Amino acid sequence: MHASSAAAPAVHYLNNEKTIRSWLTTVDHKRIGMMYLVAVSLAFLAGGILALLVRTELAAPGETIMGPDAYNQTFTLHAVLMVFAFIIPAIPAVMGNFVLPIQLGAKDVAFPRLNLASFYIYLIGAVIALTAVVVGRVDGGWTFYAPYSTSVGNGILFITMGVFVMGFSSILTGLNFIVTVHKMRAPGLTWTRLPLFVWSIYATSIVQVLATPVIGITMLLLFLEKLLGIGIFDPALGGDPVLFQHFFWFYSHPAVYIMILPAFGVISDLMGTFSRNRVQGYKFVALSSVAIAFLGFLVWGHHMFVSGQSAVSSIVFSLITYLIGIPTGVKVINWVLTMYRGSVWLQTPMLYALMFLITFSIGGFTGIMLGVLAIDVHLHDTYFVVAHFHYVMMGGNVIAALGGLHYWWPKMTGKMYNETAGRIAAALVFIGFNLTFFPQFIMGSRGMPRRYYDYLPEFEIYHQLSTMGSYILGIGLFMILGYLLVSLFKGRVAPANPWGALTLEWTHTTTPPDPHNFHHTPVVTRGPYDYHLAPELFADGHSGDGANVSPESVHRSPSEA
Amino acid sequence: MAQPAAGQPAHLKHYFVSSDQQFDAAKMGMWLFLITEILLFSGMFVAYTVYRVWHPEVFEAASDLLDWKLGGINTLVLLGSSFTVAYGIQRIQRGDRKGLIINLLLTLLCAAIFMGIKYVEYSGKFEAGIFPGGNFAPVGDYHGHDMANYADILFLPQFFSIYFVMTGIHGFHVLVGMGVFTWLVIRSFKGDFSPEYYTPIELTGLYWHLVDIIWIFLFPLLYLI
Amino acid sequence: MLVTVFGSLIFLTILTVVSSRLDLGAFNVPLAMLIATTKAALVVGFFMALKYDNRVNSLVFAVGALFVIVFLSFTLLDTAFRGDLPNTTKGTIMEMDAAEAALQARQDAGPGAAVAPVPPPATH
Repeated sequence: MHASSAAAPAVHYLNNEKTIRSWLTTVDHKRIGMMYLVAVSLAFLAGGILALLVRTELAAPGETIMGPDAYNQTFTLHAVLMVFAFIIPAIPAVMGNFVLPIQLGAKDVAFPRLNLASFYIYLIGAVIALTAVVVGRVDGGWTFYAPYSTSVGNGILFITMGVFVMGFSSILTGLNFIVTVHKMRAPGLTWTRLPLFVWSIYATSIVQVLATPVIGITMLLLFLEKLLGIGIFDPALGGDPVLFQHFFWFYSHPAVYIMILPAFGVISDLMGTFSRNRVQGYKFVALSSVAIAFLGFLVWGHHMFVSGQSAVSSIVFSLITYLIGIPTGVKVINWVLTMYRGSVWLQTPMLYALMFLITFSIGGFTGIMLGVLAIDVHLHDTYFVVAHFHYVMMGGNVIAALGGLHYWWPKMTGKMYNETAGRIAAALVFIGFNLTFFPQFIMGSRGMPRRYYDYLPEFEIYHQLSTMGSYILGIGLFMILGYLLVSLFKGRVAPANPWGALTLEWTHTTTPPDPHNFHHTPVVTRGPYDYHLAPELFADGHSGDGANVSPESVHRSPSEA
Repeated sequence: MAQPAAGQPAHLKHYFVSSDQQFDAAKMGMWLFLITEILLFSGMFVAYTVYRVWHPEVFEAASDLLDWKLGGINTLVLLGSSFTVAYGIQRIQRGDRKGLIINLLLTLLCAAIFMGIKYVEYSGKFEAGIFPGGNFAPVGDYHGHDMANYADILFLPQFFSIYFVMTGIHGFHVLVGMGVFTWLVIRSFKGDFSPEYYTPIELTGLYWHLVDIIWIFLFPLLYLI
Repeated sequence: MLVTVFGSLIFLTILTVVSSRLDLGAFNVPLAMLIATTKAALVVGFFMALKYDNRVNSLVFAVGALFVIVFLSFTLLDTAFRGDLPNTTKGTIMEMDAAEAALQARQDAGPGAAVAPVPPPATH
């Protein structure tokens, strides 16, 4: 609000109450978002260390640092932590919580206490899931396929309960966001003026609400299968293990879109802001999120082409899988067009957005390849699949999450990080990531199966490249952790709108935001990326509603300013 | 958090503009929660359908083992409790607090009858060795059926697994509903509700009707056909 | 009006019990489901007052119902056509075990029975 003043306001959400208790019992969506950030980062750290252990074991053929049993448990725990405790809550629960209500011009989400409850439910679920490590071996991968999962160890009882409980957290967050988007928008904020981040979180929330209950019942049935032997999934009791796969993937395929849709939203916002341009094809980009959310429910069987499911269902699932490429392509093309017509400002968040375009496109295209029935039979359960979903999950979600984190970090903490360090780390992440996962496409297509702790000598070079890449990636990620932590203490004070963005969290709040977000409820009179109205908006450095829209000078000024 | 400004009703949270907005948001939230419940149960309905399509004759034989009279009474009892909830809401909308309390108590009574009948059904089955899945070991006589004839029917245990899981989860929902209704009765006695503010009753009512709807489908699927 | 709806629900409950006592062949199941759906519609429309409610809530409910249908129909697309390629067997391990036990029993019964054809696994 207060143009060009780079001093933090006297009272903001971080300092209005200072006790630990005020944090643990807060109902402020911003504080809950920050608590999620800490929790989710810890899960990412733990899962990342496990990944490095997996890669180290694979650095040479044979036993390197652990035996096959330990290896199986390590990659399973890596997957469970990353999928359920990190990627699914990462963008919605952290940035969604922090940014979404402000972008809507609301004082809070619709149900603040429910929001806090979902945080604690998440924590409880994560703790229950981790108990499994102590109790007994869980080594069948994150998919818990029956009957193997019910035949070994009691750890499965805890891990299914943990996933069940974390699912509730996900449901409640999604429910909260849907109602917030429907009922809490500021005056003038019509559906076509919503930032694309809001659209994508909205689509994500729909998937969360519709799909997550099914993993709930699936985990419950698996739990009962192990505990009582109810014989629904266990073939030795007359059950059908393929039915388990249907149940599991009815959730877990849409869950892939819970992971990637928020990333699309972050990238859309970054593309608009750092290209100084209206996001091209706004309505198509917005509705393609909803289309992906819907189509995402109709393709789960493409995980099961070799499971023995009926051929007719394989064919239908394969066909619908191709359709997903259409809305996804719409997005990618519109992002590229946004840059083409804009003036691109290569700050760290934008570097991540560009990285995302490359890595996600590779992940997406290989996904369509895997959707082809005949090719999938060849590539199923090879490293090609591992590389594909890491390109989508890590190259899509994590890269976008890093971009979003760098973008909103000044708003969240009130501090600027070191831009040079940010760029170096971004380069390390990009190089490390591709070096880790690209060789896996090659060895996968040559027959290296996934989940093996040993391999033939002909795959050694690829595994070694991959392991080297993972170390570079690890260094890059630790560097990010380092300079972000340093910025908390030594960073320069961030202005209200360092990027010259046009969404409400930048134009109408202080940095860090007020405990109630806004001093007055904002009235929205334009779209979220209306840079094309620049002559009017930028005439005196202020928009018509008093918001400062030109980037404030902390960095070198962008060439076009 | 901030107290409501002067002239605003006590129940209005500061982050809402009006009571209407707050009520609409709460109701939409509840509807979203209800569809998560529907999808939770849908897993069981899918399992039922899959196994029924595979083994229709087993499922027909199995449903003969369930007592349709008890199931039918339970259906009527639950329908009655749904009616009393809906009627209670109509009462409070017209400012009749006493009518609300009476209807809520009747609802609780119906729910208790339902659970009582369920208890009778469950204990009868356990005595006849009808347990879910791998523990299925029928013995003796059950409602005039010689259970020895049923011991070797393949996929009969699957039916009872589905039966116990479905009715078990449903019964759990009834218990949760009873807890919430007890809380609502206490609040009604305190005079918390008025024609202007009865959101918790409205939302619990929605939940209760959904529990009823689930049973409306469970009854014919398990007991009749 | 609530009383009328309640009365209709009781009537439909009795109807579904009576109709299930009659042998209608293939129509028993669809009829029972039709009656149950009608009852559910009455509860949703009047007891839950969706008929008079904000349209968004109807949309929410419809989407929920739609995805239950998606879940059911796409799963049936597999399970109802399982084994439509000859490279998979429809029998479960339990059924195959039962078939094997039957074979073993026949072999034990006498030498002549050993050459009897193997019974195929039970089909669904």
